[in-house]
Amino acid sequence: MSEYHGRAPEEGAATEAEELFAGVHFFILADMAVFAALFAGFMVERSAEVTLFDQSAGQLAPRVGVLNTLILVTSGLCIALAVDAARKGLANITRRWIAASFFIGAGFAISKVLEYSDKISHGITMHTNDFFMFYYALTGAHFLHYLGGMGALIYIYVRCAHEQVDGRFFGTVEAVALYWHMVDLLWIFIFPLLYLMGAG
Amino acid sequence: MNIPMHVQPHLSNNEYFKYWRACALSGPMFLGAFIIFWGALGYNIPPIPADWTADQMAEHFRTNYNQVRAGMAGAMLFGCFYLTFTLSITKVMQWINFERNDMLPTLQMWGGGLTVVPLVTSSVFWLTGAYRPEALDPSVLRMLYDQGWLLIDMFYFITTIAMVALGVAGLADRRADRLYPRWACWFTIWAGVSFLFELLMPFFYSGLFARQGWLNFWVEFLVWFSYILIVSYYTFQAVPKLARERSELLGNQEDSETVPQLQPSGNPLPAK
Repeated sequence: MSEYHGRAPEEGAATEAEELFAGVHFFILADMAVFAALFAGFMVERSAEVTLFDQSAGQLAPRVGVLNTLILVTSGLCIALAVDAARKGLANITRRWIAASFFIGAGFAISKVLEYSDKISHGITMHTNDFFMFYYALTGAHFLHYLGGMGALIYIYVRCAHEQVDGRFFGTVEAVALYWHMVDLLWIFIFPLLYLMGAG
Repeated sequence: MNIPMHVQPHLSNNEYFKYWRACALSGPMFLGAFIIFWGALGYNIPPIPADWTADQMAEHFRTNYNQVRAGMAGAMLFGCFYLTFTLSITKVMQWINFERNDMLPTLQMWGGGLTVVPLVTSSVFWLTGAYRPEALDPSVLRMLYDQGWLLIDMFYFITTIAMVALGVAGLADRRADRLYPRWACWFTIWAGVSFLFELLMPFFYSGLFARQGWLNFWVEFLVWFSYILIVSYYTFQAVPKLARERSELLGNQEDSETVPQLQPSGNPLPAK
């Protein structure tokens, strides 16, 4: 059989980490554009039914929102420290920070499940009114992103055991961290929109 | 590395790549025809609102039945071109990382091919409504229109599978000059996943998540249409790149369009 010498597998590898980073940027920008449109839609609907939206926002618990924010921001800090450790080639410390990010982040899921259960047990669903339609849609879409991020954290945690963290794999760690920060950032917009605005 | 089976060294490049470009072009052709027939003539761009009454829907079918018939007939014809478009992507994907298994190209082929099913079947529902609109009860006519939209929107995940498979495979491409650029791969993954908003469509008759809503119709369909155009372009562009690559692989680097120097038996060439 003839040998294949056409394309060396590593031909594009020199810039792979940078390209992965850039690719995730595109994904994040596209995603945030959709969320921005949802936020704009929320504001437009709210302007038509200010009283209803304010009364409905009053049924949410801002303290839970604050807790969720703290969880995500702390988890985000841990993943930033994981990136820093990975940059220095410290695989074990990278893994520890990723694990910390995951376990702290897991608190968000517990909090959301309790919050959804409470709302549903009080008969508050997507069809209660337009505010709660946005509440479930925005927090639900965010929660799906969160689940994807948690899966990505598990993936890099496992891979860190077999990869050189300051080599090509660094780009993947950085990309996951960037995505995880997007999950934080989206929540930082969702929290005041739903829990604080008009709830006073 | 051995020459992979799908390279088919007994074929010339002209023979090997015949129809690839035509299939890639069927993507934009599908899109243009689908917008005209399914969208404009079929009254699906934008969709008839989900909060219309049965009598309003009956009036629509009884007034525009001929236009809808023409639209759906065209949509069923040109909808099948999504399959040929899908096949062109599959053929290119088989070259992305052929040292790996072919699960992703296969998923893409099945996902894209089966996307034809909701496109064509939903058109049948709308065509049924337009076939004897005067003989059908208004609630039945509305049910047929609803059923078409529920099928086309809620079967989104079969398309998602194809789009994510393409994106994931494209990201693994090790070429310096990638067949699908990274941004396009991320776009296809994002676009496929963004269809998850359709999950909310059956719960609403109005608003952004309803079938006529700006998110679940305008955003999602524009994203899908953009995917078709972007992927068609890069699939078309991939053909000459792969022709050169195949020529090099088979040891004929002078002219990628000529028949490789093969043994009469069709056996693979010895290494250069």
